Amino acid sequence: MAGAGNIQDIKKRVRSITGIEHITNAMKLVSVAKLRRARGALDATRENFHFVTESIQDIFQSADEIPTKYLLTDKDAKPVAPCYVVITSNRGLAGSFNTNVLKKAEAEMRTAEGKPAIVAVGGKGRDYFRRRGYEILDEHVRPPESISFLETHDITRPIIDLYDEGKVDEITLVYTSFRSPIEQRVVAARLLPIEIEPDPEVPAAGKYVEYEPSVAEVFNYLVPKYAEIMIYQAIVESATCEHAARHMAMDNATTNARQMISDLNLYYNRARQDAITRQIIEVVSGAEALE
Amino acid sequence: MAKSFKLDIVTPERLFYEGDVELVILRTTGGDEGFMANHSWACKLLDVGEIWIQEAGQKDFKIAAGSPGFVDVKGEVMVFVDAAEWQGDIDLSRAQNEKERAEAILNSRKGPVPSDDDDEEYKQAQVSLNKALNRMKVAKGGRRAKA
Repeated sequence: MAGAGNIQDIKKRVRSITGIEHITNAMKLVSVAKLRRARGALDATRENFHFVTESIQDIFQSADEIPTKYLLTDKDAKPVAPCYVVITSNRGLAGSFNTNVLKKAEAEMRTAEGKPAIVAVGGKGRDYFRRRGYEILDEHVRPPESISFLETHDITRPIIDLYDEGKVDEITLVYTSFRSPIEQRVVAARLLPIEIEPDPEVPAAGKYVEYEPSVAEVFNYLVPKYAEIMIYQAIVESATCEHAARHMAMDNATTNARQMISDLNLYYNRARQDAITRQIIEVVSGAEALE
Repeated sequence: MAKSFKLDIVTPERLFYEGDVELVILRTTGGDEGFMANHSWACKLLDVGEIWIQEAGQKDFKIAAGSPGFVDVKGEVMVFVDAAEWQGDIDLSRAQNEKERAEAILNSRKGPVPSDDDDEEYKQAQVSLNKALNRMKVAKGGRRAKA
């Protein structure tokens, strides 16, 4: 350990790390509150929409007159114009939250043939794909907590229109799914075309179902609605995951900062002790020299 | 007492209604339609209109204003609408304001519609006028006399 300069350096570092620790700790507390709110919204949405998604899935299963454009007819066919709805956050400092989503999205794109088009929900995803020169169809960079169901309609409608026009032949949703506050998983789910697995327990077309005004109209309404609900749910879920991820990241950062501060304090005390010892030796040896 | 069945009414924000009912009247695209227990399986689109619910064992109806959506009947009845409001929760003055706003837009377009973009606004005004009128009607007790 060297002299006084070093002591000053250590002091300066401790001060700056203490500042960082304050910030990460504050962010951690904020994310706890936001996570709680987001989880409330997520639980409500899940509770609410499982009626609708189940009902729609049931209808898809039992109907045999679904317009074929919405169905996966050939399992081996590779999409020519796939579209990816990638849901990321607007802000960083959430650990590997965004990186994981983007990695998964890129991996998905590699398996598809044809040039992928991207609908970016969240600024981080948009910036990433724009830098890499991907074609971005649409972007939505409002904070995910404040996206309402009606706004989801604006996100979904243009994609469905493109699908109807045949300019897009597959829509995949890439988002982070919330399992628990410490476990989130990135999921790639195909929205369209819908793959129907005949359920052996329900005999197909066993029951006559009245459709009004017509089967085609009902499905023209239901399919976009289904996509809308799925995208809305994914956005709510992704927001929850973002806060959970940020909470983890900031918790780790705070712990690390505290560890560093205590290590540096130890060094600081040692350096100070060394300096004092040296000064005493200097005084003692000076006094001895005088005798 | 008529047989009852389970009814769920879901909106994007919340589970609007859940319970055992004897009869529910909805406005489908073809007109008002009542659903009772043991209705054949159906899947119908809904229009802006009144929702009338007769709960099991009750004589009076609960009335709400509903937006477009769909109904799925499979023994149980599941209704999904973009928005719904109970009779008592309707803000009459807001509905009145919306009605006037929509009417102003509609009146300003008496001539030929200039372009497709404007056409969109026109359609939206028609829809919101419809919704406002529906709300006002529901708030004043609905179209049917109470049973």
